[in-house]
Amino acid sequence: MRMLALLTWPYVRKHRLRSLLTLAGIVIGVAVFVGMHTANRNVGSAFARTVDRIAGKAQLQVSAGETGFPEETLEKVQSLREVGAAAPVIEAVLNTGREGQGNLLVLGVDMTGDRSLREYDLEDEDVIDDPLIFLAQPDSMIVSKQFAGRNGIERGGKLKLETMEGEKEFTVRGIMKAEGLAQAFGGNLAVMDIYAAQLVFGRGRMFDRIDIGLAEGVSVEECRKKLEALLGPGFQVETPSTRSGHFEAVSRALGITINITSLFALLIGVFIIYNSFSIAITERRSEIGILRALGASRGRVLGMFLGESLAAGLVGSSIGIWLGLLLGGAMTPVLGTMVQEVYGAPQAGEGSEAQWWLIAAALGIGMLASVAGGILPARAAARVDPVKALQKGQFQVIAAGENRMRRLVAFAMWAVALACLMGEGVTFYAGYLLMVTGVILLTPALAGWLARALRPALRWLRPVEGALAADSLIQAPRRTSATVAALMLSLALAVGFAGITRATYGSLLRWMNDTLNPDLFVWPTESITSRTFRFPASVEKELSEIEGIEEVQGVRNARVLIGGLPAMAISVSIEISSRRVPVMAVEGDPKEMLPLAAAGKGVIIADNLSRLRGLHKGDMLELDTPSGRTRLPILGVTVDYSDQQGAFLIDRSLYRKLWRDETLNGCRVYLKPGASEEKVKAEIVKRLGSHRRLFIFTNEAIREYILNITNQWFGLTYVQVAVALLVAVLGIVNTLTVSITDRRRELAILQAVGGLRRQVRHTIWLEAAAIGFIGLVLGLAVGAVTLYYNLEMLKRDAIGLLLPFEYPYGFAAALLPVILLVSFVAALWPGEAAVRASLVESLEYE
Amino acid sequence: MNRVALAVLLCASAGLTQEVRGIIEEVQRRTRSNSQRYEGTLEVMDSRRRITTKRWQYERIGSFGESKTVLRFIEPPEVKGVALLVHNHKERSSDQWMWTPALQRDRRIALQDRSTRFFGTDFSFEDLEERDVDHYDYKLLGEERLDGAMCWKIESRPRGSKTSQYTHSHAWVRKDIYVFAKVEGFRDAALVRRILYRGYEQVMGIWTAKELEVYDARRESRTVMRLEKLEYNLPLKEEDFTLQALRRGP
Repeated sequence: MRMLALLTWPYVRKHRLRSLLTLAGIVIGVAVFVGMHTANRNVGSAFARTVDRIAGKAQLQVSAGETGFPEETLEKVQSLREVGAAAPVIEAVLNTGREGQGNLLVLGVDMTGDRSLREYDLEDEDVIDDPLIFLAQPDSMIVSKQFAGRNGIERGGKLKLETMEGEKEFTVRGIMKAEGLAQAFGGNLAVMDIYAAQLVFGRGRMFDRIDIGLAEGVSVEECRKKLEALLGPGFQVETPSTRSGHFEAVSRALGITINITSLFALLIGVFIIYNSFSIAITERRSEIGILRALGASRGRVLGMFLGESLAAGLVGSSIGIWLGLLLGGAMTPVLGTMVQEVYGAPQAGEGSEAQWWLIAAALGIGMLASVAGGILPARAAARVDPVKALQKGQFQVIAAGENRMRRLVAFAMWAVALACLMGEGVTFYAGYLLMVTGVILLTPALAGWLARALRPALRWLRPVEGALAADSLIQAPRRTSATVAALMLSLALAVGFAGITRATYGSLLRWMNDTLNPDLFVWPTESITSRTFRFPASVEKELSEIEGIEEVQGVRNARVLIGGLPAMAISVSIEISSRRVPVMAVEGDPKEMLPLAAAGKGVIIADNLSRLRGLHKGDMLELDTPSGRTRLPILGVTVDYSDQQGAFLIDRSLYRKLWRDETLNGCRVYLKPGASEEKVKAEIVKRLGSHRRLFIFTNEAIREYILNITNQWFGLTYVQVAVALLVAVLGIVNTLTVSITDRRRELAILQAVGGLRRQVRHTIWLEAAAIGFIGLVLGLAVGAVTLYYNLEMLKRDAIGLLLPFEYPYGFAAALLPVILLVSFVAALWPGEAAVRASLVESLEYE
Repeated sequence: MNRVALAVLLCASAGLTQEVRGIIEEVQRRTRSNSQRYEGTLEVMDSRRRITTKRWQYERIGSFGESKTVLRFIEPPEVKGVALLVHNHKERSSDQWMWTPALQRDRRIALQDRSTRFFGTDFSFEDLEERDVDHYDYKLLGEERLDGAMCWKIESRPRGSKTSQYTHSHAWVRKDIYVFAKVEGFRDAALVRRILYRGYEQVMGIWTAKELEVYDARRESRTVMRLEKLEYNLPLKEEDFTLQALRRGP
């Protein structure tokens, strides 16, 4: 501790900027870790809170996936002796259309019975000024105090919302107190009569859910078993807390992405720490030499540097946690919107929550990463020979023996990694870690080779400065390798993500070109993934009667449970699909599978569902529907990107029979040859638009929409690139600082014998560019490996999609100027520091 | 000796219970009719003394325990056409449906929900049900004078099979004309609801209270119901008391 106070503290005070850069490594790693997990946790717990608050006193909830179920189910449920109260519910998320107000969760309930399960704590005692009017008038709504306050709505006020019948004015007949139920969905909550909600949201005579309160003396388990026996396997009978657990299942791919990003951010942090400590040791080598000469044991020196790294870890982690919480708060609404769009999980962020376990984990991981980054430099410091301590440059050399050992270990790791490719799960991912660790071990050698290869080019550019820059890198591989490794890792990650984006884009475009061929899409919502509003089946006929329309294909998409996990049921007329849509078959012959599927004799599953669940042609798909458990043969497997959890195609007639659901999510419209798209659109609006909420998308608009969602999903790539660039700047600044310190005398001699300041600057700039370039080359190579593993991870464990390996050459090419520019910017300050240093002092150095 | 005393006491007690039950049966016998029709006015006064008024038409066919009733709101315009159909059963709780004309929808009101207020009034759905004497145990608590008339004060407790929001009720039955003067419903020791019967008139030979006042103890609000154009034993049709008729309207 005394050594820390006597030696470390003065060094930190003298090199404030450098110390801050050292901390930055851990700060970035911890901030990304905390930020991503906080945002994910916020979204997850907002969903859980919404479920919990809406559930009220309900101890069990009955649902049937996303499809809903016929009203008659309610009477069956109510007839059970174990059921004390059963209240039907419809949930819908609407865009308020008010700037900054986001979405509104509308809860359709039956007010004649719902109050036995939910407390509608109203502002005024008679919250609803007249319950009979509330029920009699379908425009009645109760809103939360928060929502009313934010929108300046009072009791009796009007609220305009989009409904199935177009924009409709609702009358606010009650305002709920800002507590309990009213806090659900971030306070953006409205309640209306369930039968009005059926009309407004086009649900037909269906309910989404039944909330259940138990009869006195009945246990949850007892009631659940009775309900399951009564309703059959097509229904899920769960506690509200189990239902919130579904969020984790559907957002699994997101969780994996977040974990990988956090891991990489931390790894990069380790390298920055390693780099910074290496600098510190280089600069303080003489100090260490003196200490050792004065009798300080190796253990004490090691302890001092480890203490420094621990202290840096503590401070860096603390700042990182604070920044991460801010970052998490800022990311929550973005992530929340994305999760709602992709998974349809109703939630709204309610601020950022600090998770104690996460803070403790971040602190531990940050300090561990700091120690991991500092241990090698600390070990090196402890081994400093007091004599060699005064010989600049020697320290940066890696001995031939060490190089050989590194090579041997790296090759052994790669051999094991190759063997791990055959493995599954942890073994497979351990292989990736071994592969990357092997590359890291070889980084000094690889950087040296590349520097040698670059030397002629650098010399060609600037004969003297180029040669000096290249030699500096060749002679001090240890100094360069940490920066190169950090840059390599971050760029590899960015390339991996960019590769996935490219593969996804490519596959999506191919899929859209081949299969997404309707001329128009008529949907009741502005977002085709939203399943809030539905058309009645009659819309299909109404549309087909419009002149210029050749054929209409109604679509009903609904997330259902297969083996307890969600998958998307896509129900369409397969007869129309077989004529209109080319099938990209993976298993089975389209000529055989399509007629059978059209006749309702089985289903066709998406390739990702096949991979995720191990299902193949000829297997039976077990479906729990409101009509009971059904086993349908799998007639074939096709390429289909409809859903991350996998989808299956089922003929509409069979779906209607099994799920007793007549509604439609939308209609695909095929025009007659020569028909004017504009005229047909105008006619649709004229005929249906006056009494129905509808949005008409052209084929082009739908493609754009799908790509936009994909863009949002891959927005993380940009975060990766930003982190990579930041690492580049930090690493290169650090490395150049060490380089200049090491070569202070050399650079001073250059100036003393007539070298121009310009030449010194150029030397530094070229060195920086070379470091950036080497990092880039290695990063692009490791990026290819990362991309392979990313694709495998998506295929094996995340979403089951088989995406082709398509290296993102465009992205890689774009990185070259960016990295060179960043390297140049990073070299500006060290370059100036080198030319502005006192010649006398520099010549006296050593 | 003790056994004899106990037997005498039990017999006396059973006799007394039988006698009290007889009073209730007599009340029901005297008010029995094959059908009934009236127009009612409802005034709901909340704890802040704000008053809302509604009018309805009421029709009943059949007698106690197995009657069918239809209640249609006629005022104010916002609720006009909203209707309630009740099928009472001797062996079990009644079936109730509500018709909402603006939605063109009927909804079933579930058994578990009958403790809730009847459309913002201080009646609960259960209060509108007919009480079968077989579903309750009765006990005479004494005699009291109420508004100048002597009354029996009778306690009734629902039997096991009967689902009720009240653990027990106290009813005051006028000795002179065998009608209820007051009923109080309790949940354990706490008063839940009090109904006062006023303005008794003999209509077509049946003593009928033309004004009922319900007091909700928790909300401290009151509802006054006045009966007009009251008629008994009309020739009503069975098919007008069905769900189809409810949807069809008057």
